[in-house]
Amino acid sequence: MKLKQLILSTLVLVSASAWADPTYRLFVTNEKDNSVSVIDSRTGTLETTLKLGERPRGIGLSPDHKTLYVALSGDHAIGMVNVATLELLGNLKAGQDPETFAVHPNGNLYLSNEDDAKASVLNPATNEIIEEIRVGLEPEGVAVSPDGSIVLVTSESTNMVHVIDTAAHKVVANILVAARPRGLAFSHDGSRAYVSSEIGNEVAIIDTKTYAITKTATVDVPRSKPMAIKISPDDKTLYLTTGRAAKVVIMDATTLEIKSTADVGNRVWGAALSRDGSTLYTANGVSNTVSVVDTATSKSVMEIKVGDSPWGLVLDD
Amino acid sequence: MRVIKKWLFVLLIGLSQSLMAQVQDVSLHYVGPTKGSVWQGLQQGLDEANIQGEFLGQKYTLHVVSMEELMALDDATAILLATDEQQVLAIAQSEKFANVAVFNLISDSDALRSACLTNLLSITASKKMKQDALAQWLAKNSESKAHVQGWHEDFVKFAASQLNSRFKKAHGVAMDNDAWSGWAAVKLLSDTVARTQSTDAAVTLNYLKNKIAFDGQKGAGATFRDTGQLRQLVLLVEGNKIVAEAPLRGVKGGLDSLGLKSCK
Repeated sequence: MKLKQLILSTLVLVSASAWADPTYRLFVTNEKDNSVSVIDSRTGTLETTLKLGERPRGIGLSPDHKTLYVALSGDHAIGMVNVATLELLGNLKAGQDPETFAVHPNGNLYLSNEDDAKASVLNPATNEIIEEIRVGLEPEGVAVSPDGSIVLVTSESTNMVHVIDTAAHKVVANILVAARPRGLAFSHDGSRAYVSSEIGNEVAIIDTKTYAITKTATVDVPRSKPMAIKISPDDKTLYLTTGRAAKVVIMDATTLEIKSTADVGNRVWGAALSRDGSTLYTANGVSNTVSVVDTATSKSVMEIKVGDSPWGLVLDD
Repeated sequence: MRVIKKWLFVLLIGLSQSLMAQVQDVSLHYVGPTKGSVWQGLQQGLDEANIQGEFLGQKYTLHVVSMEELMALDDATAILLATDEQQVLAIAQSEKFANVAVFNLISDSDALRSACLTNLLSITASKKMKQDALAQWLAKNSESKAHVQGWHEDFVKFAASQLNSRFKKAHGVAMDNDAWSGWAAVKLLSDTVARTQSTDAAVTLNYLKNKIAFDGQKGAGATFRDTGQLRQLVLLVEGNKIVAEAPLRGVKGGLDSLGLKSCK
């Protein structure tokens, strides 16, 4: 155990030293016009628009923040972009209909293949799918624990959170949650995981040691359809996007009590939180905008026009 | 204290593993055709229920029986019927199935809803729901030749497209209304059994009537009215194209603006 921690902290140090300087670029997938908007988050201005491929949805960064990955559902591929130069770096194979993914600290991508009821593990260095893991129907949300030991995948049409042990690549637990589970997030200390249920209109807390649900809360906001979850750096606050309710709901991350709400654009799905926790960005799929929310005041301070049907976003900061 | 906690944890893990190892058999009884839409829908639902069951420890089986064989049964977890109105009534009103969920899959008879039987659950939309939906549409589009369907192969929203595409992949034909009803009935049951961990008829019926919020891939979590009707949106279809969803936006009462609202 001690050795494992030592190796892990060494790895973190090594990867930290290899980090590129932040570009402060915010990348946004636009599902319906097959593009990625690149925004300078410091000014809120649209820098450029990239064309990577068909139906971009899930989006993420490599551990060193040098490479942007985009799930191209229509091309059954993961597109790559050089974060610093914006050069397109070609595609990785990703199995059938990749919807979204999470990047493991070791660099591997854990993908949900929506039409195939499985999760795939992609090694971007070799462009190989190194494992396929059977999960429930319509797998969607994916999250990697901070220490990389487990990966969670939601299956939307069988209402489960699947816990995958990353050492064995085996499902070790299945947690039944409210209808149509979608978003997932870990607390930064790794002790808790959070899951949102779109149709059940619920957020649940999962204890990552026992895999038991320790708390659930209905999201008491009109038209709420819970989607993405972000956790503040101090693990005290939870930010939830709510689809057609056009709001970010701000909850106490322990009690799940609603503290406030922030009005954003319509059909808000994806979210990204700045590293310091001061700013939340949301992808508003019907408004075709990105909202910039000041988390200190819970107010949207800017709305930036992007492409058609923005789905997800990631910030290089 | 820590030692006790650890032991308790090991015990709990052991317990959950032994529970997982013991697969729960869930038998569903069905009277109706064994080919065509409703049958394919039931098979789709069964496949999906068993995918969930693989992870949570259930095995679902559909037993095809005749009316006579059904009436000869002593007990059942749930009964699925793709029969005419009279047969549905006969089963639902029989004394021994008074606490068993009886699913009406395909009859749109208003009489089955206004009978207000506590054990009868109607999945497909009633005649009156469809009439009300059409009236809402015609109030704004008087020239329209649209008709009303519960489901359509081109329905995309609420992950309907995912359901349509996996049904088509499995059966080679488009999912229609009866197929959706068969699918939904089995999924309602698997959602219930997974959550109650019980195959007891009364437990199952109680959960279905009072607790479920079902993802029928048609939007908001679906629940049953006291008439036994599954609340759901329906589709206005003209020239085989979806032109609107009912209830229409802004209509008072939402989903309950369609059909007989309550027995009270």
